[in-house]
Amino acid sequence: MTRSVIAAAVEAVLFVAEKPVSRSELTKTIGAGGKAVADALAELEEWYQGTGLRLQHEGDDWQIVTAPEQAPFVATYLGADRLRLSSAALETLAVVAYRQPVTRAEVESIRGVNCDQTIYTLMSRRLIEELGRRDAPGSPFEYGTTWEFLECFGLTSLGALPTVLSPEGVRSEGAVSR
Amino acid sequence: MPVGPRPPDVTVAGFEGPLDLLLELVEEKKLDIFTVRLGDLADGYLARVRAMVALPADEVSAFLYIASRLVLVKARGLLPSLTPPSEDDEIDTEEGLRLRLIEYATTKGRAEMLGDRMRAGERAFHREGGTVELPPKGGNPDALAAAWLKVLALTRRAEEEIEVPGERYSVEQRTAEIEALIAEQPAVTFATLLGDRPTLGYAIVTFIALLDLYRRLVIDITQDELFGDIRVERKVGRMEELPQ
Repeated sequence: MTRSVIAAAVEAVLFVAEKPVSRSELTKTIGAGGKAVADALAELEEWYQGTGLRLQHEGDDWQIVTAPEQAPFVATYLGADRLRLSSAALETLAVVAYRQPVTRAEVESIRGVNCDQTIYTLMSRRLIEELGRRDAPGSPFEYGTTWEFLECFGLTSLGALPTVLSPEGVRSEGAVSR
Repeated sequence: MPVGPRPPDVTVAGFEGPLDLLLELVEEKKLDIFTVRLGDLADGYLARVRAMVALPADEVSAFLYIASRLVLVKARGLLPSLTPPSEDDEIDTEEGLRLRLIEYATTKGRAEMLGDRMRAGERAFHREGGTVELPPKGGNPDALAAAWLKVLALTRRAEEEIEVPGERYSVEQRTAEIEALIAEQPAVTFATLLGDRPTLGYAIVTFIALLDLYRRLVIDITQDELFGDIRVERKVGRMEELPQ
């Protein structure tokens, strides 16, 4: 299997890009159609299986990253510190990740405790961010996960978040109406 | 952490909050979260909360809130006909509280999964600082070639200067040359003797030769001002001593 011409072009642009590149930007840069670029991205995604690289995307922003399995070597080379979060921060992160966009009050309602500190911690580590204000009384901020979140947890996209079963083995998404 | 003795089976610091404590009670008693009568947990829950007096008031209040809901649910279980359930707050009903508990259990499971991923360290990295530093636009290859030629010319000149070896001019030889020159013309400047672009060795040899000639009283040396030109003159009256 060889890469199509467009896939090679997309790969080259993503290789030098320091930050995620949107699909529309790729389309404009390469001068190919949106469908062709989408196909090229899918082709690359498949191509990287089993290699040291992955194609990561959040929404329509794409970036080449290293494969999570190679993290120990890359971290050693970069001298990168390992991420450490308390179980409280992880709970808040879990709510934001699976329920985004979500307000602070909603996070606190689910966890049953004040979440000021954990939200601040997650914001300062760039794992979550303010997405904007909700059109509701008090115009509360809505939070969502960041690109760094995907990277730190080795997820190629939000769709790659594992489905976690409730303790009883019943998928609880259906049990909780929202 | 609370100070002083505490009940042996209570770990206050081990909970992330009131829902966590409730979930812990359910799991401890190996009860089914979907069918457990939550009112039955009220007594056990209150016992745990009573052991938490060392916690800050605002934290305890959150626990007390859930405790009050449990007691309410329990009371309704005992007197179902006397207390119509409130429709305002879903947590006031057993099912409302149950949904909260299930949602929290799910969140906890997700948090554990994220924690596992975090501890496994299986993360991705992107290229850092990968932007290529491009040279300014309008670069001209001809200008580069011209600059290179200039550098080459400089190098060649330096080589030429080095190629004038000081060894070719022994002091004796230079002395003889100056003596012959001074025999022909009565005076000459030091600058003339050095010529254009003398090497350091040539200048030194010339200077030593002059000193030698001066010592042997062949020449006179005068200098009108500091750093001025040095005049070398034939010493009158000693000409007869010069060899032919």
